[in-house]
Amino acid sequence: MAQTQTTATAVARPPITAFSWKSAGIAIGALIVFDVLINVYERLYAFSKGLDYTSADYESYWMGMLFAELVLEAVTAAGLWGWLWMTRDRALDRLSPAEELKRYWALGLFVLTYTYAAYAGASYFTEQDGTWHQTVIRDTDFTPSHVIEFYQSYPIYIIFGVGSLVYAMTRLPQFAKAFSLPYVILVGSPAMIFPNVGLNEFGHTRWFMEELFVAPLHWGFVTFGWGALAILGTWLQICPRVLSLINHVYYGKPIQSPAEVMKDPQSSVDPAACAACAA
Amino acid sequence: MQYSQVDAEARAVGRKFDLVVILSTFLALIAGFHVHQMLVAGDWSFWVDWKDRNWWPIVAPIMEITFPAAVQAVLWTKFRMPIGATFCCLGLLFGEWMNRYINFNGWTHYPLNMVFPETFIPQAVVLDIVLMLTGNWVVTALVGGELWGWLFYPTNWVMIAPFHLPVEYQGSLMSLADVINYMYVRTSTPEYLRIVETGTMRSFAGGVTGVAAFFSAFVSVCMYVPWWLMGTYFFGSTKFFKTYEATPVEARQH
Repeated sequence: MAQTQTTATAVARPPITAFSWKSAGIAIGALIVFDVLINVYERLYAFSKGLDYTSADYESYWMGMLFAELVLEAVTAAGLWGWLWMTRDRALDRLSPAEELKRYWALGLFVLTYTYAAYAGASYFTEQDGTWHQTVIRDTDFTPSHVIEFYQSYPIYIIFGVGSLVYAMTRLPQFAKAFSLPYVILVGSPAMIFPNVGLNEFGHTRWFMEELFVAPLHWGFVTFGWGALAILGTWLQICPRVLSLINHVYYGKPIQSPAEVMKDPQSSVDPAACAACAA
Repeated sequence: MQYSQVDAEARAVGRKFDLVVILSTFLALIAGFHVHQMLVAGDWSFWVDWKDRNWWPIVAPIMEITFPAAVQAVLWTKFRMPIGATFCCLGLLFGEWMNRYINFNGWTHYPLNMVFPETFIPQAVVLDIVLMLTGNWVVTALVGGELWGWLFYPTNWVMIAPFHLPVEYQGSLMSLADVINYMYVRTSTPEYLRIVETGTMRSFAGGVTGVAAFFSAFVSVCMYVPWWLMGTYFFGSTKFFKTYEATPVEARQH
């Protein structure tokens, strides 16, 4: 495997402040505050205004929220993904190692934020939906807990997940010219939980059934949830390149150039390449 | 001096990446494992009157050896870390307790002793220890998988035993879990315990738990194998597929 002996010493190092937690702290902190406020809203208005779909209160407190959040989510997704695409790096083959390392750090924080949002959606709000359904009788597909779970918490994690993937594809050589199987699964499979809501709601509408969380109707969510495991493969792809960059930037060890990584990204995760860098 | 400062910076950056990897993996596993668990075995986990001695010891272990096997496949083969199963089950327990406490108890006001989740931590530790000691995933499937199924009911017994005590309620013999179920109405959830506590096996040594655990252990072994393989070859895959534009011209023509 070809390796470019780019440098041995005097590689520009990024300032240590470049590896700050600040952006993820702000993003995850904002999501936590938002989730707390949503919980407060549910406690105030789910049982008091959300039990009769035909009531005027329901229309204003829950359907209004549904329409507002769907519009906001569509605008946010288009804005974020569009901005990431429009500001893409068109000269990735000339990316400096220090800048590439900083971008991997940004990607790591992006993925971390995505996984928090996925936890909130797939774990917390999904089981909260069980709390709701096993307590009250549903009279609409847009029951208060669904307005939060399906149409709010799921799109939020999709926005961050797809956003992180677009970031990687537009700013990192490893992902610029090839699709990463585990990364696409990590983002795409949980994202499919949202379309699967269509099956779920049709089933609950067409076949009135007991509120069993283990009903086969729900198993589509399960299958798509398995995709979260692909974070293992995603990190297995990223970590060797990050290690190589650290070894290069801080210790002057040889590294594959961005152009080589773009041409053959598989070689950047080859354990042999990693071992060569570490030697 | 200069070198040691560079070295310290490199180590600090490396540790920060380590933390991002660990935290994000933990959160992703909670998300995936919990949504899996609640929709294939959740009803048994939600309610104390569903924690029966027949189906719960079968359904819960065989559906929850899945993620631990897949995560073990990567953490052990790539990092020699025998903590995959425990890492998963700790995440699952965290996800469950967050919701049981804040929502089942805090929002809809079911008592916590009606909605506490099961634990898989003891079996997970055993599964990890078997893998660490043997270093062999097939042996882990055979021995660890069997222990996973067998140990589930005993390790949860301390928590559920008080709720299986018999009581007389309005002239009927019921368990304490049954009485709690009658006190706290769940509108659309079917009555469960009295339905499953029927059958022809009552006379078999006084109960079915042993047979259920035996069966559970067998299926746990069978489940471990495909999930280890999926962890190795699919979820832990590092495969890239080139885009059409990046594919050589000659390859496009085929």
